Amino acid sequence: MSMPKGYQSELGYATVSSEEGCMGYREIAEKMTDEGDKMNHSTARNVFLRAMEKLAAPVCKVYGEQNFVSMARDPRFQECMQEIIEDFGVDI
Amino acid sequence: MLCILKTLEEGDVDVADLASYFEQVGKTALLTKEQEVYLSQQIEKGDRQARDHMIQANLRLAISIAKKYQNSGCSLEDLIQESSMGLIKAVDRFDWRKGFKFSTYACWWIKQAVRKHVASHAGSIKLPAHAKNLLWKVQVTSKEYEEEFGSPPSNEELADLLGVKKETLESIIMSSRWTLSLDKEVGNKSEGSSRTLKEIIPDDKESFELSLDKAKVSQIIREAFGHLSSREEKVLRLRFGIDEIVGSEEQFYLTKSEISEIKKGRK
Repeated sequence: MSMPKGYQSELGYATVSSEEGCMGYREIAEKMTDEGDKMNHSTARNVFLRAMEKLAAPVCKVYGEQNFVSMARDPRFQECMQEIIEDFGVDI
Repeated sequence: MLCILKTLEEGDVDVADLASYFEQVGKTALLTKEQEVYLSQQIEKGDRQARDHMIQANLRLAISIAKKYQNSGCSLEDLIQESSMGLIKAVDRFDWRKGFKFSTYACWWIKQAVRKHVASHAGSIKLPAHAKNLLWKVQVTSKEYEEEFGSPPSNEELADLLGVKKETLESIIMSSRWTLSLDKEVGNKSEGSSRTLKEIIPDDKESFELSLDKAKVSQIIREAFGHLSSREEKVLRLRFGIDEIVGSEEQFYLTKSEISEIKKGRK
């Protein structure tokens, strides 16, 4: 009997990895491991989400939002962050 | 009445007085053919009063012709003024010996005066006579074409039919279009609406508040980036495809994905 495997976020997942130059969590884990920082895809995702939370927290504070964790997981926020960071260029 | 006539001749008609002007014009009785002949004879002899009476009695005709041109882009006051000038010209030139009624003769002078005014004042773009002539031909030809084929002609077909260049035709049609003032009031004035056209045209540009907001968020993100550990920053860069150091791609003229493929193959 098939069982549900995890759950789909209400808003789906951010699909930044499909864009040119962007990487999926497995690719990131592989690259990081190659460069000496051993990690698997789950760790890569956790590290990425923690970084997102760090970026979401001050934004939430400004706009009076409480739940910065869910905002950090929101694919719209992640895509927005990608756009903003791309605007900054390599010099962040 | 004489006073009104003088005002008209001097070209100074008060808009608010239009209603009372119509009322006063209506008070003068229409002339019979015999009266017209008698007055014309008197005018020939240099009788100013007879001339004024003839003009006053026919002002209704001038107003009715002016009203027909109301939607031509000129104000009704101006049109009435011009038609009255045409009427005065007709009174001065009327020849009672020909045996026609005065109105038959006068309506051509009135129409000519009004049309002349409309042609030179309607719209904000002044067109030369040949362009107006071409426009008139365009209208007539389009109508005939539509009647014959059941659909309006294209600009190419029209240009072909009229023997002009397509570009010339298009520029003349474009110039003949009505223009609207951005300060034109829209909505019902009686309901207290005082909005102008420029106030209801949507602005496609980003609002000042939104761009300020964006700048603020960008600043916050930039600062927050400083709090990321090197590991987090690296993962974020990899996830979003942002290069840490620009160089290798520029040196080898390869895309990021191609470099990535080569690196994978090397492993």
